Amino acid sequence: MDRLLTLENQGKLKTSTMNRSVRKLSANMLALVGLALFLLILTASIAAPLISSYEPNAIDLKHRLSPPGETHLLGTDQIGRDIFTRILYGGRISMFVGLGSAIGAALIGVSLGTYAGYTRGVLDSAVMKLSEIMMSFPQIILVSILVTIAGQSLWNLILIFILTGWPSMYRMTRSQMLSIREQEYIQALQAFGIGSFTISFKHMLPNAIGPIFVNITLSTAMFILQEAALSFLGLGVPLEQATWGNILNVAQDLNILRNAWWVWLPVGVVITLFVMSVNFIGDGLRDAADPTQVG
Amino acid sequence: MKQDTIVEVKDLCVNFYTNQRCNKALREVSFSIRKARTLCIVGESGCGKSVTANSIMQLLPDLGRIESGTITYHGEDETVHIEKLPRNGRKMRSLRGEHIAMIFQDPMTALNPVFSVGYQIEEMIREHLELSHSRSSELAVKLLKDMGVPLPEQRVREYPHQYSGGMRQRAMIAMAMACAPKVLIADEPTTALDVTIQAQIFELMLALKEEKQMAILLITHDMGVVAELADDVAVMYMGNIVESGTAEQVMSSPSHPYTRALLDSIPVLGRGKAQNLEPIRGTTPDPYNRPAGCQFEPRCDYATELCRRQMPTEESVNASDREEKPHMVRCFNYKELTHV
Amino acid sequence: MVLVAIAAVTNTRGGRFMIPFIIRKVLVLIPMLFVISFLIFLGIELMPGDAVDFMIPPDALATISQADLDLLRAELGLDDPFLVRYGTWIAQVVKGDFGYSLQSGVSVRDLLAQKLPATIELSLAALVISTLLGSLLGVVSALNKGRLGDHVLTVAGMIGVAIPQFLFGLVMIVLVVFQMELLPVGGRMTPGNEAFFQRLDHLILPATVLGLSMTAGVMRYSRASMLDSLSKEFIRTARSKGIPEWRVNLIHGLRVAMTPVAVLIGFRLPILIGGSVVIEQVFQWPGVGQMFVAAVRSQNTPVIMMIAFFSVSIVLVASILVDIATALLDPRVKLS
Repeated sequence: MDRLLTLENQGKLKTSTMNRSVRKLSANMLALVGLALFLLILTASIAAPLISSYEPNAIDLKHRLSPPGETHLLGTDQIGRDIFTRILYGGRISMFVGLGSAIGAALIGVSLGTYAGYTRGVLDSAVMKLSEIMMSFPQIILVSILVTIAGQSLWNLILIFILTGWPSMYRMTRSQMLSIREQEYIQALQAFGIGSFTISFKHMLPNAIGPIFVNITLSTAMFILQEAALSFLGLGVPLEQATWGNILNVAQDLNILRNAWWVWLPVGVVITLFVMSVNFIGDGLRDAADPTQVG
Repeated sequence: MKQDTIVEVKDLCVNFYTNQRCNKALREVSFSIRKARTLCIVGESGCGKSVTANSIMQLLPDLGRIESGTITYHGEDETVHIEKLPRNGRKMRSLRGEHIAMIFQDPMTALNPVFSVGYQIEEMIREHLELSHSRSSELAVKLLKDMGVPLPEQRVREYPHQYSGGMRQRAMIAMAMACAPKVLIADEPTTALDVTIQAQIFELMLALKEEKQMAILLITHDMGVVAELADDVAVMYMGNIVESGTAEQVMSSPSHPYTRALLDSIPVLGRGKAQNLEPIRGTTPDPYNRPAGCQFEPRCDYATELCRRQMPTEESVNASDREEKPHMVRCFNYKELTHV
Repeated sequence: MVLVAIAAVTNTRGGRFMIPFIIRKVLVLIPMLFVISFLIFLGIELMPGDAVDFMIPPDALATISQADLDLLRAELGLDDPFLVRYGTWIAQVVKGDFGYSLQSGVSVRDLLAQKLPATIELSLAALVISTLLGSLLGVVSALNKGRLGDHVLTVAGMIGVAIPQFLFGLVMIVLVVFQMELLPVGGRMTPGNEAFFQRLDHLILPATVLGLSMTAGVMRYSRASMLDSLSKEFIRTARSKGIPEWRVNLIHGLRVAMTPVAVLIGFRLPILIGGSVVIEQVFQWPGVGQMFVAAVRSQNTPVIMMIAFFSVSIVLVASILVDIATALLDPRVKLS
């Protein structure tokens, strides 16, 4: 405090003219670290062919289960595939699933939430009840059932995630809409005779964009974790395609678990770091957009 | 040091700190609260009145700090320098409630919603008085009754949200009076209430003052309230006391441009449409971007170059009259007003 | 339950008023259960295979003629319209007939009865661990806001939220079971040692893993709730009475902060059930979760759907319990 006092007395401090959100975000160390880490993993996965000369599915039975070394940075798995390469290529799929599902769920949930949250009425009650019911299903159970019905495939999984993920986006958007619709400018727009669609999407939605973005970020992380858990159980993306979760699938074998740590531990660390970085970014966004926080 | 002063504030400076800036909320504030008298601190929102009240009780938020000055409590057996006490230390806590009590602006948020009113009153009682469980319950009921809450035996077990606004404030007053404090600080106690209830609450406070010979520090923005209740007045603007004295002195011969402007801007019932309402021109400055000299200067009709450069010092309007209570004003040009 | 006890101590609400409140909540439950049962039945219909496939062992299927199969289907009422089949199924379920496992032929009800205790044991232990630890750490974090303890706990929480549950379990197994050889590797008990205290060494690891993985979320929420409570006006009023700081924080602050945390318990049940599915698999814990995974792998429809039905029902019932707890803890909740 005394430091601030002397600075103030010297007239050194002025109210900043920079956009408050940008200022808060850039000052948030964790968010920046998260962003850096996120970009690192993202670019590594996208640039996979440039980084590694191996093919993710190239079987090499002569070098099964070899520990990390010169030829294989992170060793090989039980049928000789290079782990490091698999992690890089697997990241593409996992991140695609995570982000794709989050955006898809947001598209449905936010649209419904915006319109229903504004107009209330029958649509709102019906969708609300539906979302309540869907949210009472434990996610894994619901997803597993849908995967059994629809069959295992990458696209099926994304669709199923979107289907199970939209209710929470819907409820979040809706609660934002409920508070925004009480504002007076909404009444003014109504008095002008402007239609519901226009009011809700053009005028109300932009005010809720902040929390929606934060939610998309955090949902991405959640979906990646879910994909990992499902693939670990063998219920996610088909095992031929490398995803972070699929690579972990072999850890169910106690032998590998105990003796070949390089097959499963690095992937696990990568998932954890990636999810952490996404969470840091999401939290940073949330703090920056939150008008109630001091500073 | 007059013998009838119970709380003396001298040159109090309080700062608030945020991530980037330092706001000097109170600048050399001085006033005295006399025993069994009502002192009204009046001013616009944001001028620092509540900060003053909170400072006396050492209830400033974490980011606020008493920088300099003194707050002295002249108790029956002791003189305490409040500004030196650690916040929430044993000494400060023994003062709170027992010697100096406080009631707040919005009783709905000021009372804990999950505990019954009786519980919250008894908490005060049991902290300071050595009473048994049953005696403190009895006392709580009696307090509610004395404050005019009907059916106190039943009400004592109810929750704050079950009370009406006026009753809630009565309950809070009951809580404050539980240990018969010598000073009651009331921070805009009726702003959240209807005008009719306001009158009742003030009546109650006056009665208590007479009965218990208790001093009252009343924070308000309403000059009408000042006219009704005040024995002494202090007018506050942007962290400074710009004028202070007895109610008669300040109200009948206002010596500061701000006080004069305040009085002029109040509509008086009965004068009709033709009365001249002069709003004060300009707006209050941004607390982080204050004028260098007198804070009121940009809006003042009597401002001079000196006013822009320097904060006026405290001057006495009735220095010659040694019998009277001092009438203080912070203005270089106050003489011009008194001649008008 | 502890919170309910605390509520009972610090204030009481008329017992008379609670009963109609509870009844009303239960009445809302029943239509929801019907809708859910409908969805479940829909799921059964959509799953590959039908009851005849369920009934006849694979090898016999090769020899039976199509005509006989059709006859069987007609007999069983499988050609009846959808709603009729739904009605029959519902009637069976209400009577307690949950169908039979495709794999073992054992009635689903018996299977559930067998496996449920294990899952309850695990889930309860994890719930207790995460709630107690999470609330405690969150409050500690809030009271030390800005200081080292707060930062450490916050970072730990962020890591905890990011680690996949099963990964945490795997790592713990490697560390505790393989490296330190402290605890047995899986299963619920070793034969011969069936008493509870003898089984504890099996329970500790899975319960701790599941519990800790949920602690981070609770801690975060509890911290936020405590900070929010401490910023309220009545805290200043409490201080102005001259009561000691510990009372201000713990009696006034904590009491108000705990209501949202109690509500959170209800919301965590779906996560808990999901978590136990994964953890039971990792630790080979013979519970309903493990049964579910096996059933999904083998497309054992009756088992899958019944588990789904029950897990949803449990969640709904839990949310009612949470509503009741909230009403007890927060006197502002209207009972009418």
